[in-house]
Amino acid sequence: MSVITKIVRWARVKSPWMLHFNTGACNACDIEIVAALTPRYDLERFGVLLKGTPRHADILMCSGPVTKQVESRLLRIYEQMPHPKFVVAVGTCACSGGVFKGCYSVKAGIDSAIPVSVYIPGCPASPKAIIDGMVKLLESVEEEKKR
Amino acid sequence: MAGEDKIKQELTERFGYLKDAVTIQRERRIIVESPAANFAEVFDYLVNKMGFSGLSAITGMDEVTGFAVIYHLTREGSIVLNLRIRVPRENPSIKTVTQYFPAADAYERELADLLGIKIDGLTINHHYPLPDGWPEGQYPLRKDWHNSASGEQKD
Amino acid sequence: MHDSHNAGDVQVPIGPQHPSLKEPESFLLTLRGEKITSVDVILGYNHRGIEKACEERTYVQDLYLIERICGICSHSHSTAFVQAVEEIAGLDIPKRAKYIRTLVAELERVHSHLLWLGVAGHEVGFDTLLMYTWRDREIVMDLLATLTGNRVNYGINTIGGVRRDVTPEQAEEALKAMEKLEESTNYFIELASKEITLIKRLSGVGVVSNEDAVKLGAVGPTGRASGIQRDVRRDDPYAAYGELDFDVIVDNHNDVYGRTLVRVKELKESFKMIRQILKNMPDGPIAVKAPRKIPAGEAVSRYEAPRGEDMHYVRANGTDKPDRVKVRPPTLANIQVVAHMLKDRYLADMPIVIAAIDPCFSCTDRMISINNLDTKKKETVIWNKIRLMGIEHYKKQGIDFTELNKKFFMV
Repeated sequence: MSVITKIVRWARVKSPWMLHFNTGACNACDIEIVAALTPRYDLERFGVLLKGTPRHADILMCSGPVTKQVESRLLRIYEQMPHPKFVVAVGTCACSGGVFKGCYSVKAGIDSAIPVSVYIPGCPASPKAIIDGMVKLLESVEEEKKR
Repeated sequence: MAGEDKIKQELTERFGYLKDAVTIQRERRIIVESPAANFAEVFDYLVNKMGFSGLSAITGMDEVTGFAVIYHLTREGSIVLNLRIRVPRENPSIKTVTQYFPAADAYERELADLLGIKIDGLTINHHYPLPDGWPEGQYPLRKDWHNSASGEQKD
Repeated sequence: MHDSHNAGDVQVPIGPQHPSLKEPESFLLTLRGEKITSVDVILGYNHRGIEKACEERTYVQDLYLIERICGICSHSHSTAFVQAVEEIAGLDIPKRAKYIRTLVAELERVHSHLLWLGVAGHEVGFDTLLMYTWRDREIVMDLLATLTGNRVNYGINTIGGVRRDVTPEQAEEALKAMEKLEESTNYFIELASKEITLIKRLSGVGVVSNEDAVKLGAVGPTGRASGIQRDVRRDDPYAAYGELDFDVIVDNHNDVYGRTLVRVKELKESFKMIRQILKNMPDGPIAVKAPRKIPAGEAVSRYEAPRGEDMHYVRANGTDKPDRVKVRPPTLANIQVVAHMLKDRYLADMPIVIAAIDPCFSCTDRMISINNLDTKKKETVIWNKIRLMGIEHYKKQGIDFTELNKKFFMV
């Protein structure tokens, strides 16, 4: 059985719930995340469901550099997520702060506030890259489970 | 540039102190340097009598010797008249124009938050655009304010 | 952004209740029954300190920074900025460059309006409209990627012109894309004109009279849907617009339905312009050399972004870094209008009303603080909860998109 098939089966059984949170982004990555859920890319075929609440989320998808205004909310959301939880940094800004690094109102990338499991670079990260990143995340979770 | 010339003529005829203060940069772009003391009457005349019914934005900047505030007024969405006044560095203050343009609320708050210019006639309850908890007396757009690696630091 | 209160209303307390656990709220509402009595819009959520950063970076670095102010109208900001710099430097940029800039500008408008149509559908529960419009939008994204090298943040501008030329093959591809998109758009226009559920849901919602729209300074499709005859492309022409033949779409419904009609009709005007651009593209170079240090001077540059007038002011001081860069994005001009639209209206209308100004901030995770005058309780809710609540509210009144969603899947 191919890796993708295994993941799709696991994902369908587990149905990881995903929460999308914009931490001060320009919206480009957010739009690409939504685009990844539309028919052409169809992220949902991997069983990932977009949900609105942190309390049931397995995966937190973050876009944008962490602005000082939003940092406390990001921490709160992360704290509300039950274990095991995974954080995906979508886009160059989320990875490192991107072009906004050094701006007075910006901290840096997501990992300056919370631990990150997967980094998906790109400005913005394309829907294909987002799917690739998500599959890698699901793969590594599957690997973890085997141990 | 008939429209622009007429505007210049009308302004300089009406307000003697603007005699050498009106420049036509190009078509649809005029700059007027007004003494801060005369701002209210010039602004009122432009908006109520000369058809400048749009305010695109208010730009504040630190010119080191003082602060400049530019009101970007538009007529019929076409001609832009940039009305500039200058205020001293010590206790800089301007009068609100929200009674003419409610949208100016956001533009004036930026001047207050980022440059520390006081807005006469505007009640400000919370920061905008800076985040809550931003330290008092720190005005990032001032030329002597610099961000250090660790965050909102000063001069 | 502070709406005036009558003597009878309770002032909404502004400021954190629990400083240590403060979550930045974007909207503070006072509710009586199901109606909003006052609104405070708190922005600054993604204040990144861009204007200051511009003073500390070179003009070329600023070009890339400014392009990323907003990921939906990145070309708008980039072009507005570069136009101001070119004006100060006295650069006469080649006609072909102006045409290419305009081509990307109109393609951006198309992707933005299609995006909006999908988001609007999502906000009222018409999710298949989201799928349909975003599927068509991919045609534009592919075209933009072919022409500029990226789906978003095109980087097509340089000071003095553009960085990439359009080949005859790309032009051919673009014309084919216009045909496909025109077909879809005709269908969306038909939907908007005939589908009763959609018309009912969007009509009489988010009402702003022409008088109020003028007083509050509404820009873009929001203003034009309330009869405001303003479009920077026609009134203060820039790039190649002075040579194109197009109509400015104005409507008098004064509501969200009007804003929908304006946008779908603007799509058709964009296709018209894109065809003209491709047909009449002048030959010649695509850029002139620009100096690294921009001579002292200042300029105001205006641009009709998909959401409305985008204004940039640049002041140069003879160095390679600007003295001041001021950006006034269109959404900021429409914030007062939104506050006005929500006052004395139903909470259930909030998501679509806000979506209808096509705001340039991520709506999906905004926090809304509601001060309920009846229960005397203050609670904070997430945007999605209000959206779902709104959909339920209207279902009870017989405006339900369930059947329409199913029908779409059959098509």
